[in-house]
Order: sequence, then structure tokens, then C-alpha cells
Amino acid sequence: MIQQLSIFIQDEIGSIAGVTAILKQSNINLRAISSFDTPNFSILRIVVDQPEKAKELLIANGFAVTMSEAIAVELDDEPGVLHDMLEIIANAGLGLNYIYSIVYRNGKVPLLILNTDNLQLTIKVLKEKGYLVADQEDVVL
Amino acid sequence: MIWAKEETLPRNEIEDIQLERLKETLKRIYDKVPAYREKMDKAGVKCEDVKTLNDISKLPFTIKQDMRDTYPYGMFTVEKKDLVRIHASSGTTGKPTVVGYTKNDMDIWTECVTRIACMGGACDEDVAQISFGYGMFTGALGLHYGLENMGASVIPASSGNTQKQIMYMQDFGATLLVATPSYALHMGEVAKEMGLDPAKDLQIKIGLFGGEGMTEPMREEMYKLWGSQLKATQNYGMSELIGPGVSGECLELCGMHINEDHFIAEIINPDTGEVLGPGERGELVVSCISKEALPLIRYRTGDITRLFYEPCKCGRTTVRMENISGRSDDMLIIRGVNVFPSQIEEVLLKVEEIGPHYEILIDRKNYLDYMEIKVELADERLLDSYASLGELEKRIKLSLRTVLGLDAVIKLVAPRSLQRFEGKARRVTDLRKNK
Repeated sequence: MIQQLSIFIQDEIGSIAGVTAILKQSNINLRAISSFDTPNFSILRIVVDQPEKAKELLIANGFAVTMSEAIAVELDDEPGVLHDMLEIIANAGLGLNYIYSIVYRNGKVPLLILNTDNLQLTIKVLKEKGYLVADQEDVVL
Repeated sequence: MIWAKEETLPRNEIEDIQLERLKETLKRIYDKVPAYREKMDKAGVKCEDVKTLNDISKLPFTIKQDMRDTYPYGMFTVEKKDLVRIHASSGTTGKPTVVGYTKNDMDIWTECVTRIACMGGACDEDVAQISFGYGMFTGALGLHYGLENMGASVIPASSGNTQKQIMYMQDFGATLLVATPSYALHMGEVAKEMGLDPAKDLQIKIGLFGGEGMTEPMREEMYKLWGSQLKATQNYGMSELIGPGVSGECLELCGMHINEDHFIAEIINPDTGEVLGPGERGELVVSCISKEALPLIRYRTGDITRLFYEPCKCGRTTVRMENISGRSDDMLIIRGVNVFPSQIEEVLLKVEEIGPHYEILIDRKNYLDYMEIKVELADERLLDSYASLGELEKRIKLSLRTVLGLDAVIKLVAPRSLQRFEGKARRVTDLRKNK
């Protein structure tokens, strides 16, 4: 499993830039980012190479941040590959909460980051079908 | 037309009635209400010390807190079995302010409201649509009884469902509208959206507005929307005193005539409690001198106004109070509901997932009051999902609705993003002023 940070973002100009500025200053590498448009606020989810350090810095700068686990799965860059994996999760009766990706991995296949109601069970069914589930080290270039 | 002869008595006769009724009421309160008796004893005042009307200034004030301290019936001077009606308004700790009426009180209340409707131009031919919310608040039922007593046909439409209200108005031929001024303006807008010209397609010619103050810009808006033929008056009251019926504007529009045979009005300096003279601006203090169940003496209304004793062109000799210009405390009136920021604070402080800082913004959108409350997220565990943040917003909203009887828009903001104050916090921004 990998570590992701969830950050509370207000609906204001420059609020995500406020987060990236802190990461840049400390030379923390952002590997994946995801956020949706909601009326008042948003949860910004990021995967970085130094999650503990990023969390401390963001909290020190006044952000509400939580660190949680997510599953990162290696997927080949071919049509239908994502569908096959999603079908396995659905067939196991697992609900998908959100999904985003790390596309650029310096020659390695992309990683798909996802969260379900039961992470351990999800990992189990995916591994049984031969999928490679990544660890935190794998997201560092 | 003037409804009652008491409205035109020479000043000395009004004052004779007031003094006599004050003495009787005071004696009864001293006997039956321990909380007020203690206040009088502590101040060293006896009932016999009130020999002239000016002696009223020797008596202790009654404040809203007294009603909370003696919740629910501690300030009443009659047995529960003598009550025929109970009303209540929202309260800080979830406990409301309770008021009650005997059969005789109901007659007085009805009479007072009938007089005010009459001042505003109503008569027995009117078809009166009451668009105040019916329920525990005194507004709707007060006007209801008063207008029926006059012989008008009452439509108890209550508030909300505005399009249907316009349909009633049009189909039933309503000629008189009872509403808060902001709701009346909203109704006019909705009628226009429905393709109607309120001035031509509807027959409303009298508006009796209350529950909140009507500023002169609002009255101008009212004429623009409903037509210049509209007689737009406002009236004043509060449940602690009787409900609507304390005072109302006549068609001369030069202040609200107080029903002085039932109420004694004074103006005080809110900081010192000192009584101020005619024409001086200060806090309105009202004594109920004819009610049986709950006759409060020197009740501090918190409303800032002035009193004028010169006879009015309309023929009435009763004292007139100017439009309320503010509050001596921080009470807000939102959609006709009294709200203290402390009530909001109390609700927010009980929610563990948010911080202790907040900001309240009040504005008017489409003529309706709108309240937005910003709170800081404190529990980052909720960041796991949008659902738990949404649930938090919903829970805060529901608790506020339970305590205030009002809906607010809750806005979660980032921790430490709201302004901090070193001195007295200024957490309320009211953008409605003079709108």
C-alpha cells in the first residue's frame, strides 16, 4: 500500500498553489494529484515521495491534512486493462471510493491509485489475479 | 377610522388609567411572582411607593434572563388552569421563552390587534391573507384573532409555498396582506415571475407588516412592487409583552401609536438605566398593566427608539414610537425570528469536529434574509471522504434549525483561516442595513 495525503482546500483563487508552494520549497516531489470541483471546498489528494515530511510542513503552515493508505496497482498502457481490474473489484462486492493515477514512472508502467471500503480484501483479490500492488518505495522515482 | 375611544383620550385621562392599572398589577405581581418580589425587596421599593406615574422609575427592570431563570411559568401570576393559550419563542439553551394568556388576556390581545389593523386602514370588508408562519410564534394567531374580531375575512395562509399564496390571493380576492416586510417583497417578486403585475392583477391595498422593522427604503420598494395605492404600515410587538398589538402606524406614517391603556412605555439610557425625556433616543422599556397571566413590569425590550407625545393628525392622542433604529444588545432579527449570536455560538461549540471560531454573514437575497456561517474544520480525519464532511455540515445545520428555528448555510473553511480578535470579537456582518 502507499501513503496519500488528503488536504482541505477552500474555494479560493490560489489555494492549491498554496500547497504546491510548500512542497516546492522543501523539494518534495509530487507524484499524483487529484481534486474535484465542489461548491465550497475540496479535498485535495496527493501522493508524494516524502509523505511524513510533507504532512508536517503542511500542518505547520495551517492546512488540515490527514494521511491515509491507498492501493496502487500496476497496469499496462493498453485498452481494456483498467476495465478488467475494475470488474474484479466489482465482482468481489467491493465499492470503489475514488481513483486517480501516476502515469509517468520513468519507463515503468503507470500506477492506478484507488480506495475501497476494504483495502486488505481488495489487495487480496487483485493479487490472486496476478496484479502487482505497489508499495510506497515504488512511487519514488 | 379609530377603533376605541381609549385611543383619543386627553393625556391626563390616559395617565389616570395607567396609574390605577399599574398599582393593581404591581400588587398582584408582588404577591404572586417571587422572582420580582425579591427584586423589589432588594431595591427597597414597596408597592405603596408608586404614587404617581413617574414613580415607575423606582421599580426594578424585568429582563429576558428573568424568564429563562424561572422557566417555564415562574413569572406568571395565575394558575396554569387559568391559561387558555401558550406561545413560545426560541431560546439560547434550547429552552424557549414561554408566554401565556388567560381568557381575559386573549380579549385584550384581540382588541389591541384590532385597533392596530384599524389604524393601518383595515375594515370589515377586507379579505385578509395572513402570511406569517402559524405555530408557537405569536404573530400569525395574534393578527388572525384581531382581524376576525374586526369582521374581516381571514385566510390563514401561513408562510412559505409562495406560488400557492399568490394563487390564493388572486382567486380569493385578498385585499389585505399580513407578512414580514421582507416576505411581502419576496411575494411581490414571485407574483411578477408568475407573469402577474401585483398592482393590477392582485387586489392587495393594505399591508400590515411586522415581525421585523420596515426601513423607509423597504417601504419605497413595497410601493414599487405592489403599487402606489398600497397602504403599507408596520406594527410592533413582542411575545413577552403580548405579541403583536403593542403599537402600530396609522396612515399618517409618523410613528407607531402605543396602546397606552394597556402598556406604559419609557425610554431609558441602556447603559445607566436612567429614564430619558420625550424625543430622546434610547432603549424602549414597556410595562404591561392590564394582562393577567404574564404582566411584566419595566421589561427591557432591547429596541432603540424615541417617543413623541404630541397628538397625531389622525386624531389619536396616544404616544408614538419611532421606527426601531437598532438594538441595545446584539440581537439579530432574521426572517422575523429573534436570534442572538450567543445561541449560534452555543450550538457550534458543541460540535467537536470544528474549531471555536466562526463568522456570521447576514444578507438579503431576493428580499429574503439569508444567513451564512463559516466554521473552521478541526478534525482532519473527516478528510477521508466528502461524505463525512457533508454529514458534518448537515449535522450543524440541523442543530441550528432545532435551536433557532431557522436554516443557515454552513461553510466549512480551513483551520486558522478565520480572523482572530484580540479585543471584543466582531463575528457578525450584517449587510442588510438600509437595503
